[in-house]
Amino acid sequence: MAATTISVRGVELRADPAREACFKVVHLYTELWRTVDMSAESQREKLHREYNTEVQGMEIAAQSLAEFPDAPWELRMEIARQCWDESRHARLYAQRLKEKGGFKGEFPIANHEWNTTCVFETLVARLAIQNRTFESGSMDSMRKAIKVWNDAGDQCTAEITDAILADEVQHVRYANQWLNRLARGDPKVVLQIATTMARLKQMSAALRPQPGDMSINGVDLVAAPHASVRANVDDRQHAEFSGAEIATVVERQQAEETNQFVATRLEQVR
Amino acid sequence: MGLTVKQRGQNVATFRFIEVRLMEILSAWVPSTPEMEAKLLFGAHIWDTAQAADALGKRTHELRLRLQHSLTPAAGYLEVLDSLSAVDGAAQRIAAFYDVIVPALAARYRSYLAATDGLMDAPTVRIIERILETGARMMREANELREELPALKLGNSDWLSQFAQGERSVPELVVEIEAAAA
Repeated sequence: MAATTISVRGVELRADPAREACFKVVHLYTELWRTVDMSAESQREKLHREYNTEVQGMEIAAQSLAEFPDAPWELRMEIARQCWDESRHARLYAQRLKEKGGFKGEFPIANHEWNTTCVFETLVARLAIQNRTFESGSMDSMRKAIKVWNDAGDQCTAEITDAILADEVQHVRYANQWLNRLARGDPKVVLQIATTMARLKQMSAALRPQPGDMSINGVDLVAAPHASVRANVDDRQHAEFSGAEIATVVERQQAEETNQFVATRLEQVR
Repeated sequence: MGLTVKQRGQNVATFRFIEVRLMEILSAWVPSTPEMEAKLLFGAHIWDTAQAADALGKRTHELRLRLQHSLTPAAGYLEVLDSLSAVDGAAQRIAAFYDVIVPALAARYRSYLAATDGLMDAPTVRIIERILETGARMMREANELREELPALKLGNSDWLSQFAQGERSVPELVVEIEAAAA
């Protein structure tokens, strides 16, 4: 049976997972809060967003167990373990959110990772997107988040983030190991990954904010400076990315930083 | 005299089938249950059922079956699992899983322990003892969640009684154990 899908800006996405009525589920960045500081409200929004992100990670892994019963058993075990990990992560963020006076549904949420990953119909594609792309990106942003929370005087959330980051490394590593193993057994897997990544790039381009788009808290989503995120080289090595793959990520992020710097300077000159 | 090697293998492989199916049912419930706390309960227990299946699947290889071999249980029990899979609503799912299936399966595991030889089949006994401990923890965690969130309590339900009766009506999990052991 084909999965239920939705269309957002002409992009076909998997329909959202179930959420309680207290949540406002949206699909565009213009419908979300954009955090630009570490005010109390922004801290709660970050935790609320991370909470939902971890729940999505669990849902994507669980859906793979349900939809791909013929996957190798050892791979299913890795995915099952990930379900537990993401469940614990979500509980940690939920607890921290509550401690800071936040609550479920305080901010709108988007299920972009689920919507994007689960529209792909193969396990190879889902591992390539969720584990190898989204979670490896999280490894970079979480390394930075540890410093941000520490700088804000919140060692507790920094420690939680570090513990979660260590778990995420394994989720990326097993995907790297399995995609390599599957590709060795079937060269078509490499083509499948390349096709998946090309489609993901198109989807991301269509969904990203357009000039003039504003978040619900009045932040210009294109003009506002983006905090630069450096590649987390150590953890990418732990996750068994190749040296060439890590170099590519570092070069791309350096180019983005340069572009951002030039754009900011041009704006100042104008 | 306890069970034969062949009977032990068939029992273990059948238990493995059930644990894998329970893992898959919990997995399907995670995205389709709206209540976050129920999702997180199911998500954590996916790993517990996977570990149970894995341990049983390693044991099948020691009992002259393939590694991670599963045997389909009796048709009546398959129907019970299909009914469980179709349950909707967080409170109903929690009740069906933790108040009916897990304790009933524990009773079936204990019956196996009573039937097998504790020394000859000690590796299986150890595996099942660990599964029973895990099952008790899973039930405890479900109860703690319902104490914390009473909306997840089912209350009196004829439906649940009928579901439990359906489970009890299947006397034997293993298919054609006598014929296979002959």
